[in-house]
Amino acid sequence: MSDADVIVVGAGPAGSCAAIAAARAGRRVILIERGPFPGSKNMYGGVVYPRILDELVPRWWETAPIQRWVVRRSTMVLSETGALTVDYRSNAWGEPPYNGATAYRPDFDEWLSRQAVAAGAQLVTSTTVTGLLRDASGRVTGVRTDRPDGDLTASVVIACDGVNSFLAKEAGLYTATDPSNFTLGAKETLALPKHVIDERFGVRDDQGVDIEILGGTSGVNGGGFVYTNLDTIALGVVLKLPKLAAQKKRPEEIIATLKAHPAIAPLIEGAEVKEYSAHVIPEAGYSMMPTMVTDGMLVAGDAAALCLAAGIWLEGVNFAMASGMYAGDAAAAAVARNDVSTKSLSAYSDRLNATFVLRDHKKLRKVPGLVLSDRVQQKYPAFVTSVVERVFRVDNPQPKPGLRRIVREERKRAGIKLSQLIRDGWTGLRGFG
Amino acid sequence: MTSIDRDTSWPEISFEERIGTAEFRIHERAHIVVDGDTCRGCSTRECVIACPANLFVPTSDGGILFNYENCFECGTCYMVCNKEGAISWSYPEGGFGIVFHRT
Amino acid sequence: MTVIACLKWVTPRADDDDRFAGISAADQSALEFALLSAQPGEDVVAVCAGPSGAERALRDAIACGVTRAVRIDLDPRVSSLAVASAVASVATGARLVWCGDYSLDRGTGSMPGFLAARLGIGQALGLIDVTIADDAMTVVRRLDGARREIVRVSGPAVLSVEGSTARLRRASLRGVLAADTATIDVITGPSSVVDTVDEKPFRPRARALAAPVGASALDRVRSLTDAGAATGRSETVVLDPPAAAARIVSTLREWGYLG
Repeated sequence: MSDADVIVVGAGPAGSCAAIAAARAGRRVILIERGPFPGSKNMYGGVVYPRILDELVPRWWETAPIQRWVVRRSTMVLSETGALTVDYRSNAWGEPPYNGATAYRPDFDEWLSRQAVAAGAQLVTSTTVTGLLRDASGRVTGVRTDRPDGDLTASVVIACDGVNSFLAKEAGLYTATDPSNFTLGAKETLALPKHVIDERFGVRDDQGVDIEILGGTSGVNGGGFVYTNLDTIALGVVLKLPKLAAQKKRPEEIIATLKAHPAIAPLIEGAEVKEYSAHVIPEAGYSMMPTMVTDGMLVAGDAAALCLAAGIWLEGVNFAMASGMYAGDAAAAAVARNDVSTKSLSAYSDRLNATFVLRDHKKLRKVPGLVLSDRVQQKYPAFVTSVVERVFRVDNPQPKPGLRRIVREERKRAGIKLSQLIRDGWTGLRGFG
Repeated sequence: MTSIDRDTSWPEISFEERIGTAEFRIHERAHIVVDGDTCRGCSTRECVIACPANLFVPTSDGGILFNYENCFECGTCYMVCNKEGAISWSYPEGGFGIVFHRT
Repeated sequence: MTVIACLKWVTPRADDDDRFAGISAADQSALEFALLSAQPGEDVVAVCAGPSGAERALRDAIACGVTRAVRIDLDPRVSSLAVASAVASVATGARLVWCGDYSLDRGTGSMPGFLAARLGIGQALGLIDVTIADDAMTVVRRLDGARREIVRVSGPAVLSVEGSTARLRRASLRGVLAADTATIDVITGPSSVVDTVDEKPFRPRARALAAPVGASALDRVRSLTDAGAATGRSETVVLDPPAAAARIVSTLREWGYLG
């Protein structure tokens, strides 16, 4: 008999949700985490959208370790010195059932893993999975860990082992790793008194703000973000890997430049770096996703590249939690049927296809490429901000120029062809659906 | 290095102080291994620029000096490396390596 | 017979967050030596005084192979003497009791001494090297001034080790899985607490000192610091313990360290 019905590798949001789902279905589940506690290896760019937890952890907001509820969402376009911000506020997002929340991942992930333990899963920490066990037919039958006597067998292995997913690669579910599919996220957690954060960001109590930034990354394709925790601000950059290496500018220097931008500097004035962190993001979305199912194994979360980085939407934890839950359900059902073949487990990929997990990704599959394209990154921020600058500049006694003329002149100044602008606009419209 | 024209309104910190804000539980065995011979033939040195923990330092003889102790375990180095097999990268032993607190 | 490993559960973060808590490198060394020094058929018992979070340390110890784990439910504020008394109730009759030389939270290292006194057995404290043989152990103690003392321990004893002396074995996966559901005995320790209401930094009273003599600034600094001067203050005497204690006190008084 196997040591477990289901082994889940990695106790992040995907892994813990997979473990909850499979354990609730009555399966014997072992959840393996390489950190000393779940969440200790995890870092992100800021906002959890936990509504998917309604199905798994009713009234999750009463116990989840949330820092602030996001009531202001801003998208900021930065040129060298200017900034154009679209800012939306809804205080309703600060009340149940909520929308987005900021949280420290070592807190949130650890809390979620406790829900898995409460559901009956056995959590093993400080244990790195080093490879897969397979039978003669190639079916995955368990995992190998770095502990003595460390092989563990199971009917199904769910790989939630993060963006580097050595397990999905070992199982041959990925084609070669293309660095241009990945971005590096680097972040500073900056301490300020709560009342100072409240005043600077125009919020109170447990209300929070999330700002996504286009431009301001020193010529490296990517973006930035600023969001509020209770008594810290998180500020970071997301940098396209090949471009980062080519630009000869180090991540912390790019962060420093962003911090010095006139639109950002006043927000973080006087703040002290409490923690510096970094992580890789599977940025390319749908186009880089692996095969999700093989005999005896499923892939979920970042390991399956289920991270949506589509300009105004930056989501990952919700996709991880949903895919984990669906993987846990599918694994439990396959074990109950006593058939863990690809065909039997493919209920998982069917469900991904039928729900927001892959529908969002498919719908927005062109957007990550567009957002990270050289034009959008290098030319459009300056173009857009200078158009707005001229619209709002009062140059008396000169009469106001017409908008069409401003757009034409600034487009030419930025070196953007009209045909390209129209094409990108069309791609964007179609991409955003 | 590019100099940055800063309206400095926050305390400047050195890279050592920066990396010192994160907790690393260091194992005696390195989880990153760099093949120095392969690196000598590399002129682009992507890892030196891209590694957020600044673990890779070029040496005067054309090699790469690396350390693994302050590694975020992000994977950037092996992804940007264009020399097949120059960087062997795995996770540290369970329980060791980076431990985030507030990120 | 039994071998005991005493582990102290410490939360280094000010907010007492259990996720970051653990046992010190010294206590890990103690646990490893306990496992190594147990003879066939001998029980190894891990003892931890502390709140319920401390059971994680004990489960780690079970995973590494101890036979039994005991948690003494104890207010973390009790004195080390009280901790020693409580641990002694578990360790009575033990052949060897291993401790870390002091805990992570700037401990004083007094517990092992108290414990030996309570148990009425020998002690070898502040060990930097341990060689285990069947009949007796040879251990090296760290003394002041980089001096070393080599001690042979043959009877029942309390031993405290420094953190670098041994690396705790990595628990097997089966051990870890089994430890999750293993029974941990819980006994209640003494509840008397001497509570520190307020803690102020140590500020010795000012003492008037005569201005240093010397022609140059360098001479004056030398006379102030005794740098380079023969102190003439060290001497070796052989006395029985009460007389030695009295001599130390009178000398310290003479030199002005005690009022």
